[in-house]
Amino acid sequence: MIPHCQLPSHIATGPHVSPFVSSPSHAGRAEDLHVPSSGSSAPFSVAPSADHAEASAGAEPRKHTTYPYVTGNSVLAIKYKDGVLMAADMLGAYGSTKRYKSVQRILRVNDTTIVGASGEISDFQYISNLLDELMTQDFCYDDGCTMTPKEVHAYLCRVMYNRRNKMDPLWNSLVVAGVDKTSGSFVGSVGMLGTSYTDSHVATSFGNHLSRPLFREFQRDDMSLEEAVSLMQEALRVLFYRDKTSINKYVLAKVESSGVAISKPFALDTKWDLKAFVNPSKHAVGSW
Amino acid sequence: MASTRLNVPGLDGRCAGASRAAATLALGGADLASLAGGSPVASEFPLPAVQDLDRFENNVQELVKPEHGTTTLGFIFRDGVIIAVDSRASQGSYVSSQTVKKVIEINPYLVGTMAGGAADCAFWQRNLGMQCRMFELKNKKRITVCAASKMLANTMYSYKGMGLSMGSMIGGWDPSGPAIYYVDSDGQRTKGTIFSVGSGSLYAYGVLDQGYKWDMDVDTAVELGQRAIYHAQFRDAVSGGTCSVYHITKDGWTKIRGNNHYDMHYQYYPGGHPTAANDVI
Amino acid sequence: MSWSPYDLNGGTCIAIGGEGYCIVAASTRLSTGFSILTADKSMILPVNSKCLIASAGFDGDRSQLHKVLTFRSENYEHFHKKPMSCPAMAQMLGNTLYYKRFFPYYTFNLCAGLDDQGLGCVYTYDAIGSHERVGYSCQGSGKDLVQPVLDNQLKAPSILELPPKVAVTSLSKDEAIETVKIAFSAASERDIYTGDAVEIFVMTPEHGVQKEILPLRRD
Repeated sequence: MIPHCQLPSHIATGPHVSPFVSSPSHAGRAEDLHVPSSGSSAPFSVAPSADHAEASAGAEPRKHTTYPYVTGNSVLAIKYKDGVLMAADMLGAYGSTKRYKSVQRILRVNDTTIVGASGEISDFQYISNLLDELMTQDFCYDDGCTMTPKEVHAYLCRVMYNRRNKMDPLWNSLVVAGVDKTSGSFVGSVGMLGTSYTDSHVATSFGNHLSRPLFREFQRDDMSLEEAVSLMQEALRVLFYRDKTSINKYVLAKVESSGVAISKPFALDTKWDLKAFVNPSKHAVGSW
Repeated sequence: MASTRLNVPGLDGRCAGASRAAATLALGGADLASLAGGSPVASEFPLPAVQDLDRFENNVQELVKPEHGTTTLGFIFRDGVIIAVDSRASQGSYVSSQTVKKVIEINPYLVGTMAGGAADCAFWQRNLGMQCRMFELKNKKRITVCAASKMLANTMYSYKGMGLSMGSMIGGWDPSGPAIYYVDSDGQRTKGTIFSVGSGSLYAYGVLDQGYKWDMDVDTAVELGQRAIYHAQFRDAVSGGTCSVYHITKDGWTKIRGNNHYDMHYQYYPGGHPTAANDVI
Repeated sequence: MSWSPYDLNGGTCIAIGGEGYCIVAASTRLSTGFSILTADKSMILPVNSKCLIASAGFDGDRSQLHKVLTFRSENYEHFHKKPMSCPAMAQMLGNTLYYKRFFPYYTFNLCAGLDDQGLGCVYTYDAIGSHERVGYSCQGSGKDLVQPVLDNQLKAPSILELPPKVAVTSLSKDEAIETVKIAFSAASERDIYTGDAVEIFVMTPEHGVQKEILPLRRD
């Protein structure tokens, strides 16, 4: 069932500005999105495989992801003195309906790495399966070393880029974080086109606009765990206040050299007792 | 000059596909070059999985803005072949280079010119050079201009409709004398005496047709070629830079001239151009 | 809103070739739309000891292209027992780009290094592999701002004029580095995608490759 409701364009940070669309400001603005009809005239609409001469005559055309349905919003990650911290809320939104409120969007990959995803939840579940297979393979090698966060990040970069090449993207923005004994902390991001980067702090989706400035100001690589958690909570609070598709139910994950720990869901204190909220229309003069 | 095309959907694609397959067989499939870390000379290029390939390619062309725009000319006369080209490349309205080498030296006695997409010309003419060399090795004699231009035209035809842009002249001297063939990305291949290709070609034709004689001597011919390019550069916005003139005889090609447009202008009009405001107030 | 496989990630790069040196410089800002993703993403690949490749445009294609070039360069070294020379690398890059003619790498590249005579060589590309050797060039979002500065300051002859000359600039190494810094400072004032910092790689026969970082405006 296709949601007949507004889908904010910031979801699953993809190319905000398609080079083929002239208007530049998609950031954070809700727009009416028309679901493209099948046989779309969009230049990048994907060929069903029945178009290729090799496909057998009676085959069902394979559909490609052109539109996300159940989505998660921001994932945040920062480095601190002893490791890395990642946070995300537990919402799986169906357009503007807050439909699934216990979606675990942070995944423990192995003892050194965690991955968080915003965007299409089903594509993230597929990525989870891929990572699971990867770890099983790692286990079977039984060679005394496990994949480091940097390697997991590189693997996911290749997966995302290759799906983009097939014009069938995994509609996610992924955050990979972890601690490796030899090379230290790692925080990195991969988008649905294969654009990737590493930094001391990373945020996807709306968090890129709201939380990243807080991180730029207050995050330091040598901050203590308490300071880091407090900064993260501030960042999450800001998102809850200002991102309309968010809920006050979060998961915080931490990786240190001792291993991975993912918290139980928690809520943050929020202030709604501002004077302006008591009588909202007091100063609303209006023009007629 | 619009040519009528049989509008049978998919016909071009099927013919093109068939001739590409034939080309693969002719080249013998496996490629030592790719093993040695060189580029595989691809008869098959990977294609994006989109419904409307033409629309995709059109959009991509706008996006990547490959270098375009030029004047090139070539003619045969009693003493050989003259090829003259400009050297400007533009990406939209940005002049991306004034020093593009638009004469591609395929081998010491064959040259090709570049007009249209620079990458398409450079790549396929280098490929032609490889094919000509293979011909020499297999047949123990030099390839004729006729055959070389035919190979290029066949390659172009096999990619017909896919957005390649190339308008090229293949010039050389073979046992039948001087020859020049026009080959383009629509699959056209025409033998002729005088050709000019590119956005500035109309200006060049004017000068060429006025000054051409079959039994000119070499200096007159070289000067004619240079002057035609100069006038095209003067009037066409996307032509400019330097003018390079090549002369091809039975002993091969030599580069005779390489003059900057600025120098040529003051050589032809020492007191300034007659229509320019020469008096400074 | 239709999905596009391409995105513009911004950034400007410059390469200059002179007598006995070669400079490759690139900004380190990675952007998307109107957001800055990070301030220190490198656009330059030191592919082997003889050659540096700088690519501006779309980051996904840049990562892939750099990996492909590294692979082929190392393969070549295994087969030929020597690193690929800069002119050879330049031709290979052109072919690699052309191979994706119908689904291009959206990268605008510069390939630079020292040739056999110890002169700096710089090759500049369009997105589908058309290339030429020049004395200096720039690519990327700020190229319209930087190219006129380079044209004005650096004197490099055209390789097409007779008598033939090699395309290297006549400036000294230090003057060229100064010009690079000035050009980037200018570009970062007026191009929103250029800023944060510049990586400057200088290659000389005596010292190999040396790297310097110049901070730029962070706004």
